[in-house]
Order: sequence, then C-alpha cells, then structure tokens
Amino acid sequence: MLDFLQALSDGVLFGATYALIGIGFTLVFGVMHKINMAYGAASVGGAYCGLLVLQVMAGAPPLVVFFCAFLAGGLLGWLVYLTCFHFIPITNPLATLMATVGMLLLIDEIIVHTTAGMPMAYPAMFDDVMLRVGEFTLRGDLMMVFAVSVLCMAGLLALLYRTRLGLATRAVSQQTVAALLCGIRVGQVNATTFVVTGLLGGIAGAMIGASVGTLSPLLTTPLTVKGLIVTVIGGLGSVPGAIIAGLMVGGFESVLQLYRGVTERDLYVMLLLFVFLVFRPGGLFAAKGGRD
Amino acid sequence: MALLELKGVSRHFGGVRAVDGLDLAVEPGQVFGLIGPNGSGKSTTVNLVAGLFPLTAGAIAFEGRSLEALPTHLRLQAGIARTFQNIRLFGQLSVWQNLWVAQNSPEDRARHGFLARWLGGQSGARDEILPLLEFSGLAHKRDELASNLSFGEQRRLELARAMATRPKLLLLDEPAAGMNSEEVGQLRERILSLRGRGVTILLVEHVMELVMGVTDRIAVLNFGQKIAEGTPAEIQADPAVRKAYLGGEAA
Amino acid sequence: MDFYFGLAQIIGVHTLIGLSAYIVLLTGQVSLAQAGFFAVGAYAAGMLTVLAGWAILPALAASALLGAAVACAVGFPALRVKGLMLVIATLAFGEGVRLFFFNFDYQVAKGGVKLGPLGGEGFRQIRYFPENGWTTMDVMLFIWAFVVLTMALLWWFDRSRYGAVLRAVGEDELAAQSVGLNLTAVKVSAMTVGGAIAGLGGGIYAHYTTHIEHASFGILLATFAIAYPILGGLGSVFGTLLAAVFVQGFLVEGLRFLGDWRNLLFGALIVVAMNVRPRGFLDAPTLLWLKRLFARTGGGSGAA
Repeated sequence: MLDFLQALSDGVLFGATYALIGIGFTLVFGVMHKINMAYGAASVGGAYCGLLVLQVMAGAPPLVVFFCAFLAGGLLGWLVYLTCFHFIPITNPLATLMATVGMLLLIDEIIVHTTAGMPMAYPAMFDDVMLRVGEFTLRGDLMMVFAVSVLCMAGLLALLYRTRLGLATRAVSQQTVAALLCGIRVGQVNATTFVVTGLLGGIAGAMIGASVGTLSPLLTTPLTVKGLIVTVIGGLGSVPGAIIAGLMVGGFESVLQLYRGVTERDLYVMLLLFVFLVFRPGGLFAAKGGRD
Repeated sequence: MALLELKGVSRHFGGVRAVDGLDLAVEPGQVFGLIGPNGSGKSTTVNLVAGLFPLTAGAIAFEGRSLEALPTHLRLQAGIARTFQNIRLFGQLSVWQNLWVAQNSPEDRARHGFLARWLGGQSGARDEILPLLEFSGLAHKRDELASNLSFGEQRRLELARAMATRPKLLLLDEPAAGMNSEEVGQLRERILSLRGRGVTILLVEHVMELVMGVTDRIAVLNFGQKIAEGTPAEIQADPAVRKAYLGGEAA
Repeated sequence: MDFYFGLAQIIGVHTLIGLSAYIVLLTGQVSLAQAGFFAVGAYAAGMLTVLAGWAILPALAASALLGAAVACAVGFPALRVKGLMLVIATLAFGEGVRLFFFNFDYQVAKGGVKLGPLGGEGFRQIRYFPENGWTTMDVMLFIWAFVVLTMALLWWFDRSRYGAVLRAVGEDELAAQSVGLNLTAVKVSAMTVGGAIAGLGGGIYAHYTTHIEHASFGILLATFAIAYPILGGLGSVFGTLLAAVFVQGFLVEGLRFLGDWRNLLFGALIVVAMNVRPRGFLDAPTLLWLKRLFARTGGGSGAA
C-alpha cells in the first residue's frame, strides 16, 4: 500500500510536466484546429537552449537556466508557427501536419548533431531536500517541478480569462470567422498562441530535465506521445481537462510501472488509450463545440 | 398516398425551436415549395428529411415507410436525393467522377455486378452519365476538375449529381442562390423538365420569381411553424404571409 | 552492385508501406497504424517460414491476409472517430503492437538452436533467402515484382469507380453520404486493403533483413509511411513511388557524403516541400496538366 502511495504521489508530481505539454497541444488545437506535432521536440529544444547559459556563464543558478529555457521555448514556438502554419493554406490539414512532423525531425536532429547524441546533465533545485513521513517520502526536486508547473498554469489561466489577449484567443477558438469580423487579427492571435504555448513548453522541457537529471534527444518521441495522450484524455481544446489528464497519466503510469515493470507499462497505457479514444472520443471533459 | 409525409416534426437546438410541430404532405409528381423568412426552419426541414440529424419529436414517412431508423446513405438508396445550400461538390474529382460516385440507386446496383460496379472502368457507366452531362450542359467539361468550374456550372453539376442517384424525391436547398435572372430562367426550365419525368421536388427558395413559376403547392414557414399552405396564387394573397415577410400589420 | 540491389530492396519495401498508407489517405484519414500492420506481417511471415517451415509465397500470402484481418478488425472501432482523434487512436494501436512484440517470446528449439521471437532481443535468423540460395538480385527482383503488382492494383482501383469513391469520401464526408455512400464501409475497406499491403511489405522486410526487432516498427516508420504519399501527392500512386525513391535513394543514400548533416536536411526539406507544394508533388491539377500535355503532343497514353 505504501509502495502504491509512493508511486502514485511521485507520478502525480511528475505528471505536472505532462499537463504543461498537454496544454500546449490543446491550446493550439483549440485556436487553429490543427495539431502541432513539433511541440514536444520544440519543448525539449527550449530546455536545451537553457543549457547554453551555462556555456556563457559557468555556474549560473538553475533559475536562470529555467528562465532561458522559457524564453527559448517561446522563440521556437514562433518559428514553428512561421515555418509550418503561416504560409500553408488552411484548407490543407495534411500539409501542416506533415510540416510539423518535418520540424520535429529537424529539431531532433539539430539536438543530436550539436550534442553528439549524448545525454546532458540538467541542473535542478532542492534535489537534496526530502520530506519524510515515516517510510513515505516527497522528493524536493519533484515538488519544485510541481510548484513551477502549477505557477505556469495559473499564469496561463489568468492570461486566458483576465486579459484582452485571452479574450481574443478564446473568441478565435470558438468562432474564427466571427472573431475576424469583430476586427480581431486572427493571424496575430494564432502566432501569439504559438509563442505562449512555446513558453510553456520551454518550462515543461526544463522541468523534465530537472526532475530526470539529464536531457536527451530520446525524450522527444515519448514526450510527444504523452502530450497527445493527455490532450485526448482531457478532451481536445480543454485546458482544465489537460491539467487533470496530465496528473492522471503521470500517476497511472507510475503505478503501472510499479506493478508491471517498465517494458509492459507502455503497452497497457497504449491499449487503454486506444479503448478510451474509440469508446469515449470526447475525452473526460469534452470542450463545448469541439469539432472532430 | 403522399410520397413524403411529415407529422408533428420538431427539431430543437438547445432552446431554439428550429422546426416546431410541422405537418407537410408532398404528393407524388408535385413540385412543392417551402418558403419563409431567414431562420424560419426551411433548411433544417430539408436536413431532417435527408437524415443529417435526428428528430426531437414527430415522424417522417416516405412512401408510407418511417425514415427514422434509416441513416443518410440508406435514405438516398430509398430514393431521396438533395443539393446543398452552399455547394458541396467533390472538388478534386472530375465532373464525370462526381456523377459516377453518385450511382448508388437500387437500379444501378441491379444493373451491374458487384465487381463491375466498383472496379469497372468509366465506359461501363457511359449510358447513364452521358445523358446527365447533356442535361446539365456540361458535356464539354467532363474531364475538368469540379473545383475549376464556374459558380453556375457547379450548381448545375450538383443538380446533375443528385439526379445521378435516380431519386423519386429531390430536395433542392436554395438552388437559385447567387444566380442572375438568365440563369434562374434556365434553372426553371430544368426543374420543369424534371417534373415532366415524374420526379417529385421539394424546393426551398427565396427567389420568388422561381418559386411562383414552378411550384404546384407552397407551404410558408415562420419561426419553425407552418403559417400557410396553398397554391401559389393563394399564398400570394394570404395576409399572414405578407405579415411574416413584411413584418408590419396585415394589409 | 550488391549495394544498389540492397538499396533497391529498401526502396521497394518502403514503397509498399507508403502505398498502404496511400489508399487510407485517399479517404481523408491519417493512419499511424500502418507500422503496426507491417510488424504483424513481419513477425507472422517470419514465424511461418522459420518455425512452421512454409515456403515464402504462402507465408507472404498469409501475412497479407493477417494484415488485412487485423486492419479490418481495428478499422471498425477506430474509424468511428476521425481527424486528429484517429491519428492518435491509430498511433496508440501501432505503439501497442510494437510493445506487444517487445514483450513477445515464442521460441522453439530446432536442430539444437532456439529460434523465434525473443522479446527485446528481436527475432533473429529468418534465413529463408540465404538457405535457398537466393542472390541479392533475386531478392530485389522478387520484391519489385510485388511492388509493381501492388502499384498496378492501386492504379486500377484509381481508374475505377472505387477509386473515385475513396476520393469522394476524402473530399467531403457529408456530401459522400448524401449521394448514398456508406462511409464506414468505404473507410474500412480502404483500411483493409492498406493492411494487406502493409502485411505483405512486413513479410518481405522480415526476410530480406533476416533479423527483426520491435524498435524497427516504431513511430518513425509510421511517420515515413504517411510521409511518402503526402510528399508525393495523392493524385497518383506514382507520387508515393517518387517520394520513396527520393527519400530513401537520394536523401538517405545519395547524400551520405554529407554525414550527419543529411538528417538535418531531411526534416528541413519536408518543411520546405509542404510550404511550396501543400498538396504534394503529384496532385490532381498537375496530373490533369500532364495528361493534356501528353494528349497535345500525341505522346502515347501517358503513364499518369
């Protein structure tokens, strides 16, 4: 029982990063009804860019690294928008999908090329702190990851529901044409969405690096898949859904790993996802007016 | 017996009663007009008959059989074809192919074997498609992509595609929208020629010049309810209709 | 010379998996399950020749049938969802199949050696071709015979009403329903044909590499499968062939002198290609133009 609780709490804390990635996918889907397959790779790319600070300023505090990852993520998000969405006609969903896949491969390869494919150590905070309650422990670094992620989500929700920009974003997501007629510059809103999700992705990448301890290009594919899973379970386009689904997937996978081992874990996750998708395609909390 | 019969048909979207307790009976061979102001439920009625979404209440019968359990594609095979208000052709398919894929009527199924029907070449369908091309004046464009056609040609192709399914009942959803008066005249000739072949037509239209010229009977909708029904002459004289259209007091 | 034959083998198998995605894409559905069907075919054919001692042709026929059966079984529930949900559902299925083989042990002792799939170790010693004395050229010709056969079949489909129906469903599902087409039947049929082609390709792949493991059937292969038809264009089967030749022949092999930079170029080229030609290389208008060009110059019937 204790093992179960331990696995569950570790998983849920780590799941906060999945939630961030899921939000990124879901926001882009909500606004453009497109999926950005390059998002996971861009997030990891942002986290790598954070490491550049250490090249310039050896021994920079982790917070600076995280902040740079945050900014770099935003920049990468804008680049992805420009290369994969801006010039491709909206009537060609296959072309944007494929272009983002190309971008995924490109970012992946740039990382492999510049780091020679070797994993790199990533700075963390509070990794020496351990909260103990009897046998039960809470890792300090995981709690930091959780706290930072929650802070970012709160910031995003405030942005979406308390600012004009957020209002415009939600307007575009609900009725693109009507928003256009109200004088909202849809292109600009789309680009902003990519920057905002990119910022989130950069932080998510950095947090994953911090809790795992290393960054590796091998992270991009599983991260993309997990992000998509979270998006789907939470309901395409639903931000609160993505948050809850992220925590759930984190906890679920950690518990499965405890009982079934790491090689079988993903098999069950995939089968569950397939069944879920086919029999409850709206997700846990389907967003109103969500289309296909 | 009426070919198409709607009894107490309702369709609500949330709190909006798009169609509310509508009774209609379309007799075989009629051209039946359905008119009314914007948002009065005309297109919703067409979509209900075509099976796009389920009824909230009421029943629709076609040739005396309930349509309720029939999905869209089987309604077509039962003999109900339609055109769309905003044209929906297969843009990357040629004119010929647009007509070819529509051959799903029981007659077409009976004529060719399964393999010949699905895997046979174009020549197998010549006899059925060439007359349709002639009818819609598109014979010279048979290999053109549908998306490259002009607006008027696209409307003609959509009508021909509906005819390719050999319908007993044809639902026309604003076929004259965006047409000039010369094109409306041609459309009128086509509708009358279809009527001459015994096709029953339910015509939803705003262009009165067309409605008054081709219909045998007209029903007027307002706020999802039928406010009048009769011959074109009766409708033109009906005070309730004038009120619905002009918004003022009855003349 | 063997190098080029080997390359031709790779291109052939990749063309097959591309074609399996092509027919599904015609109906407007993006399936990332093709690598899963491919894996099923590979393991099935390998086990049939190695463990059951079948000859290659019946083994390939069985793998194609199995691929079709699995695709049909998956297609019925999966095609209830569409668009992005389908992408993710098929992705989950494909990964599920890969992970199944990752955990799949079925070893039989034969002549003192244990043969058969062994989890993460993979399935070694699928030695039907070397044991029967086939040269690299024989294998290459064998593979291309199947590629040509499959392309001929799909090309015929394309010229028949079935092809037009597939495209009609891909263009506008509502309109397709309204002319009396049964969407589920059409989509599942395309998925089934695609599954058969992928199963066949997998069976061939298992025998020319002689060693298969779960990692070869991951998301990357699924992505390649849809990349060929999308890059090549859905106008014609030849687009998929062109893209497979271009990617495997030119990008992967032809640019080997660039070293690691070649991989960078691959992603970038996809991005550029999609910006320049969103509908792929051979799209419907281009084909129409080519057809007219051939007709005007009287240059025969024109392959397109």
